[in-house]
Amino acid sequence: MRVNHPTRAKAVLPEGAPLLEIADVRVSYGGIKALKGISMKVMAGEVVAIIGANGAGKTTTLKMLARLLPVDSGTVRFRGEDVRDVPTEEIVARGMSLVPEGRAIFPNLTVRENLELGAYLHRDKVTMAETMADVVELFPRLGERMVQEGGTLSGGEQQMLAIGRAMMARPELLLLDEPSLGIAPKLAAQIFKAIRTIAKSGVTVVVVEQNTRMALGSSERAYVLRTGEVALEGVSAVLAEDPEIQKAYLGG
Amino acid sequence: MMPASGKGVASVGKKAREPSKRGWAFAAAALVVVVVLELGLERMIPDSSIRQLLMLAACNVLVALSLNVINGMAGQFSIGHAGFVGLGAYTSAVVSAHLHEAMGGGEVTFAKSFVVVPIALLASAVVAGTFGYLVGLPSLRLKGDYLAIVTLGFAEIFRLLIATAQLGEKETIGEAAAKIGKDGVVGPFFHMLQVGITSLGGQNGYAGPKNQGLPLYAGPFWVFGLALVLGVLAYRLKFSGWGRALRALREDEIAAAAVGVDPTRYKVRSFVIAAVGAGIAGGLMAMNRDGTPTVQPDNYNFQASFDAITMVILGGSGSVTGAAIGGVLITFTVKAIEAVQSTRVVQDLKSSVPWLDLNALRMMLYAAVLIALMIWRPEGLLGERELFQKQKLRPLKLPKPSPDHPKPDEPDRAPAAAANEPAKPVVAAADEPAKSDGDEPEKGAPP
Repeated sequence: MRVNHPTRAKAVLPEGAPLLEIADVRVSYGGIKALKGISMKVMAGEVVAIIGANGAGKTTTLKMLARLLPVDSGTVRFRGEDVRDVPTEEIVARGMSLVPEGRAIFPNLTVRENLELGAYLHRDKVTMAETMADVVELFPRLGERMVQEGGTLSGGEQQMLAIGRAMMARPELLLLDEPSLGIAPKLAAQIFKAIRTIAKSGVTVVVVEQNTRMALGSSERAYVLRTGEVALEGVSAVLAEDPEIQKAYLGG
Repeated sequence: MMPASGKGVASVGKKAREPSKRGWAFAAAALVVVVVLELGLERMIPDSSIRQLLMLAACNVLVALSLNVINGMAGQFSIGHAGFVGLGAYTSAVVSAHLHEAMGGGEVTFAKSFVVVPIALLASAVVAGTFGYLVGLPSLRLKGDYLAIVTLGFAEIFRLLIATAQLGEKETIGEAAAKIGKDGVVGPFFHMLQVGITSLGGQNGYAGPKNQGLPLYAGPFWVFGLALVLGVLAYRLKFSGWGRALRALREDEIAAAAVGVDPTRYKVRSFVIAAVGAGIAGGLMAMNRDGTPTVQPDNYNFQASFDAITMVILGGSGSVTGAAIGGVLITFTVKAIEAVQSTRVVQDLKSSVPWLDLNALRMMLYAAVLIALMIWRPEGLLGERELFQKQKLRPLKLPKPSPDHPKPDEPDRAPAAAANEPAKPVVAAADEPAKSDGDEPEKGAPP
């Protein structure tokens, strides 16, 4: 997988500076406080999982990062720049792509059209073709289904398409919202394998996941959210052994 | 991962979009046809009412094509399209009448139309487009049905402003404008607006500055020619990257935003495009050579907006050729209903049953057609498809996996190898049911 779009220089960060840093971020829907001041750091090249129960604020965090929700207060820095008030299309151009929850593909567009839209912001055809070849290499099934409408794919294939579409923008940071939701375990495992492949090629990944075992198993660090706050954070392997986590999320 | 081979990469992004010889031949043939129609339609069809009907059908095709951009492609519901058509009609009427006067009046000739029609239509497009922007910007920022409410309000305000203007103003608009600044600004400004609107003839309609009828410059050359040109433009728009982004937006706004499509900008632009198209259509209606030499506010009432929506829905929301078919069908249907209304039987019925509203007949017929359509063909005649649609489904030619670069981390190899077989027919691939690894294909997916 070739990463980072040729038109966009890879972030040059000072030693030890995170690629993504949010501090004391608050977000609310109407009067309901969804995020009550969360802080996170993601270093370049990391795979970070965000886990937690329903309503803990996982999806809200990703939507906030993709600038689909306004921030009440706090700071959001990406590639060392303040991006709190940057519009979504600009954040995509700067190298952050979101795979929305629930396999949000375009059902009446063909797989190819879906993928081409992923490269919407840079329409350089050669790069697009290269990236598409990479995506098809990552998800060979998409290559077979190129001319089918997105809505005719199975759930797992739709998730592959959603990830492939996000990768078409050649992001530096990939945000994944519940990639295993409603997908057969075998396909979910395949998808997580693909996510690891993406990460290995140098893309930083933030994944929100309800399947805690899978999330901790394929990430380096994790944040545990509870009712809009960071309850725990740490190395995934350590968290997986944490008795509290085991009791609350791993059914042990 | 390994880099793909150069050959495969090149074939992935290739598009055959260059203007072909066939395209030029088509354009030349179309030009000949519209010129012949311009010069010979009178001889071919001596009945002016039929000529008028054909030209009106072409104008309505433009109305439907433009409404299709916002209602069909962008999926935003505008129910005041006639307002923009009317705005275009009045603008072209005023501009062409004054231009005609300025050029010394006299005969309306084909040669002079090359001055008058482009200027008048450009004015219509600019005015309608400006109002489209002003109406669209605030209402398209919001999700939901605000656009429907606002467009309906806009169209009715436009019509009623003109229809209810009190006639009898003695001032000219120049005299009124001269007062601005002398006796204050706001009051005289509104006075000037009032004088201006009043000069449009109120309920009786506008018939030129001296009330002697509009010069009707738009012959078949302009009407059919523009219908064709704008139709091709709309078709290209739909299949351009822009049109695809619009369809993506309609299907999933969050996902579209996530790939970098700015929803508000796209919606507002498509609404402005729709308004501009409506303005041009209205301008052509006002200047239609076989039409009446007046423009009247009641031609642009809610009924007209409703007709436009029916055209789009009948033809197939989102389909360009569908909108064109809808435009023609509805024009002829309206005419047919009018013809039925003027028959002896219906007239007799009307005189014996005075409370019978014949306009209700039209609405009932429409409603029946729409209900039937919703039952048997909810997506309209063509759905989102097109007549003469070129193969939309371009197969992907994958780079061949080279044997010296094994890919150990690939999830499953067998299907990938199958996909690389060039002989695999596209249609068969599309018809093939999705192989399931235990998870079912999505329910409610289109066949």
